[in-house]
Amino acid sequence: MKRRGTGVGCMFYGVGNTGLPNPAAAFVQVLGDTSVHVTVGAADIGQGSSTMAASVAAETLGLNYEDIHVVWADTMYAPEGGATSASRQTFITGNAVKNACTQALGELKRTASEELNVPEEDLIFRDREIYSGKDDSIRMTYPALMAAMGKKGRLAVGAGYYNPKTTYLDPKDMSGVPYELYSYATCILEVEVDTDTGEVTLLKAVSAHDVGTPIGIKMVEGQIEGGTAMGTGFVISEKIDIDPKTLAIKNPTLSKYIIETSMDVPVVYPIVVSSEGEAGPFGAKGVGEPALIPSIPATVAAINDALGTDFTSTPIFPADIVKAWKEREAAAK
Amino acid sequence: MKEYAVLAQDHVKVDALEKVMGTAKYAADYQMPNMLYGGVFRSIVPHAYIKKLDLEKARALPGVACVLDHTAIPGKNRFGIIFKDEPCLVDDKVRRYGDAIAVVAAETQELVQEALDLIEVEYEELEAVSTFERAMEEDSPKVHGDTNVNVTKHLEYGNVDEAWETCDVIVENTYSTHILSHMFIEPDAGLAYLDEQGIMNVIASTQNPHYDRNEVAALLGVPQNRVRVKQATTGGGFGGKLDISVQLHCALLALYTKRPVKMVRSRTESTMVSSKRHPMTMKCKTGATKDGKLVAVDCYMTCDAGAYSSYAPAVIGRAPVHIVGPYDCPNVRCHAVFAYTNNPMCGAFRGFGVPQAAVCHEGQMNALAKALHMDPLEIRMINAHHVGSVIPTGQELTESVGFMDTLKQARDKAAEVMPEALERLKPE
Amino acid sequence: MNKITVHCTVNHKPVVVETEPNKRLLDLLREDLGLTSVKEGCSEGECGACTVIFNGDPVTSCCMLAGQAEGADIITLEGISVDGKPDLVQQAYMESGAVQCGFCIPGMILVTEALLAKNPNPTREEAKQALSGNLCRCTGYTKIVDAVLLAAEKMRGEASR
Repeated sequence: MKRRGTGVGCMFYGVGNTGLPNPAAAFVQVLGDTSVHVTVGAADIGQGSSTMAASVAAETLGLNYEDIHVVWADTMYAPEGGATSASRQTFITGNAVKNACTQALGELKRTASEELNVPEEDLIFRDREIYSGKDDSIRMTYPALMAAMGKKGRLAVGAGYYNPKTTYLDPKDMSGVPYELYSYATCILEVEVDTDTGEVTLLKAVSAHDVGTPIGIKMVEGQIEGGTAMGTGFVISEKIDIDPKTLAIKNPTLSKYIIETSMDVPVVYPIVVSSEGEAGPFGAKGVGEPALIPSIPATVAAINDALGTDFTSTPIFPADIVKAWKEREAAAK
Repeated sequence: MKEYAVLAQDHVKVDALEKVMGTAKYAADYQMPNMLYGGVFRSIVPHAYIKKLDLEKARALPGVACVLDHTAIPGKNRFGIIFKDEPCLVDDKVRRYGDAIAVVAAETQELVQEALDLIEVEYEELEAVSTFERAMEEDSPKVHGDTNVNVTKHLEYGNVDEAWETCDVIVENTYSTHILSHMFIEPDAGLAYLDEQGIMNVIASTQNPHYDRNEVAALLGVPQNRVRVKQATTGGGFGGKLDISVQLHCALLALYTKRPVKMVRSRTESTMVSSKRHPMTMKCKTGATKDGKLVAVDCYMTCDAGAYSSYAPAVIGRAPVHIVGPYDCPNVRCHAVFAYTNNPMCGAFRGFGVPQAAVCHEGQMNALAKALHMDPLEIRMINAHHVGSVIPTGQELTESVGFMDTLKQARDKAAEVMPEALERLKPE
Repeated sequence: MNKITVHCTVNHKPVVVETEPNKRLLDLLREDLGLTSVKEGCSEGECGACTVIFNGDPVTSCCMLAGQAEGADIITLEGISVDGKPDLVQQAYMESGAVQCGFCIPGMILVTEALLAKNPNPTREEAKQALSGNLCRCTGYTKIVDAVLLAAEKMRGEASR
């Protein structure tokens, strides 16, 4: 018999290391032709921290995304980036890039102010132009600004770092400020369970994530879609088996440790939710780990809803389902 | 949301072109003139003293450049992101299946394998500690030092013991989550070489280049600015490439051979020795009023962290803080104990204990909803974090708390794309 | 060990290569021919990272011996781009946000090329089916399937021009 069930899973996630300093830094230089070098320590493992750094730099400097070149994760040239972990790079390296760009903007603003006769605080840098916020007819192009910088012998360089505002936690009761900011998520997921074979089919998943401000929409969606595949697989297909004698992993291969294929994943509806805040760069928060988390409890709950069971342990494999269903049937008789 | 010039749009990612063109260089793709290949001789027992290690036959094999054990290490032979408890090469005893005992560099990968097969070892086996329960017994063998307790944490907020009296409903359950593997598609790989200035260069698949640099410097006994770690294009990590993989072994071999040394782990070796997700058991008691407001949570959390600490202290620090989930609760206790065993090492894996905690807190929310005949979305909304909420460490949340919006927007989207599924959530 | 000589066409060019008979096609391509876009993820034909187009069909090169390439027409990702620029499939992958760590991408793109050569107008389900032998741990496949459908659209647009 095939039975359907729905589950809800929610989570919050403190971004960055728990109650510990975990700074990251960035260097920036706007070159004479308005192209930019940004150097960060952050390792990009495909999640997009370098794309994030380029985006934050462009937004802060008022240049285009295409103007930015990012060098990353080479300790010879790049300052400390800390680990690519704890969903921290958008928040922490992002703020470091913003701080470095803000420092570089110091000379740029001084020069633009002199050229345009506009007080520095009234200047707006956007879309490769600099203009007065009070009268946008007073404006100059970025190349003109860089030419003026060149004439005056000024360089647009910056170094910045950021360390989240946290406290060490009290060893007695863990009181304190473990994280400066938190990401949130809700996942609603539907499954179909075959009570004869125990097979679980993942149907649809809606997963809404508060990321503060999204750096890139598709990048956030990609995290959510990938996280949902990993989270559902956590419950129904993945498990390390350990040999009881040698304590070796018995299934260290992809034929024996089953991750989801394109045919197994549910249809995912990612929802990018924004919220207001000052902590992250332009209000951005991390999503790398939050993307995974809510689909795990949602899958457990959906299976329980389908079967009327009370699974509290993972994984839930077909044999577990068949057994639980038989017990439930027997109890009903 | 504000109007941004660059953010909140879609730009082609900075590394997309080289990845679709096939020109992105992953660690295994690097070739250098005069390059050697490296390999690791690993234990096939979980807990043992090494009585005898014979490297001579391997060393004598033509085409083998060098075979090294721990005595070759010029600097420190203990590393780890938080506790320095893992050896680069075993010097006192084997603590898990797959512990590195010796390293080989040879002209070809086939010769590396031949040399590894010629290494002889005799073990004096010890009882292997394979469960948390056994680890905690007084007479159990100790994996490190004189206790198997790796870390403990205790979170206490409000007054849990007095709070139960004011609860209308109490649910108690035990949750357990299992051990999982990251299964990034690119197995660990890297290479090391001394450059013309005598700086040790390491190119590796990693999530943590600056940490790697510090560990290589400590191993070699050189200043940190005499080591360069460059992240190669990295084929996924999910936390599994935060620990040291091949970096130290490659650097040690490159130091002795004065030649570039590359190591590419097989899928099996990569999965066997990289970190795993911490399996956890959470015994949890949760109380609420009849209106569904959380009153108290008490959780006892245990975990078999495996043979080395890796990121266990980070996981045990994070999980208790998240044990209630994104909900207001005035009284919270969480006591957590992580133990060393001779099982595979657990470490960082996407979420650092929060996925495990979420299985527990969401299970409890559903149990409460069931007991109170409430919609699971409704009970979450009643308790949802908002600006001004105070989490169980006493921290007040002052901005960027979008939880309620995720609940509402998920519900609304579900009403559109899966209305029957949403309907099913309503209490009977 | 006696060497063997393999004659084949790789990326539209005739190739004669002397190699060991026990060598896998994967290693022939990566080591002897320097085509490092062909990735090794599992060594057992499960992950599809080592996919190449072999006589028009996607195959996992870790499960084939070099000798089997005799007379074959082989395409790797290096043979897809046009004058050093991304082709329509590669462009679609970039624009769809389908690329995260990228390790599966060479295989995914080659499967897409092989699919679209035979079926220029696949349904979403057909695209998912075609990609089912290639594992991705990052994306959850959604944006990769989006890329396949976008590439098909781009190719049909170009054909009708």
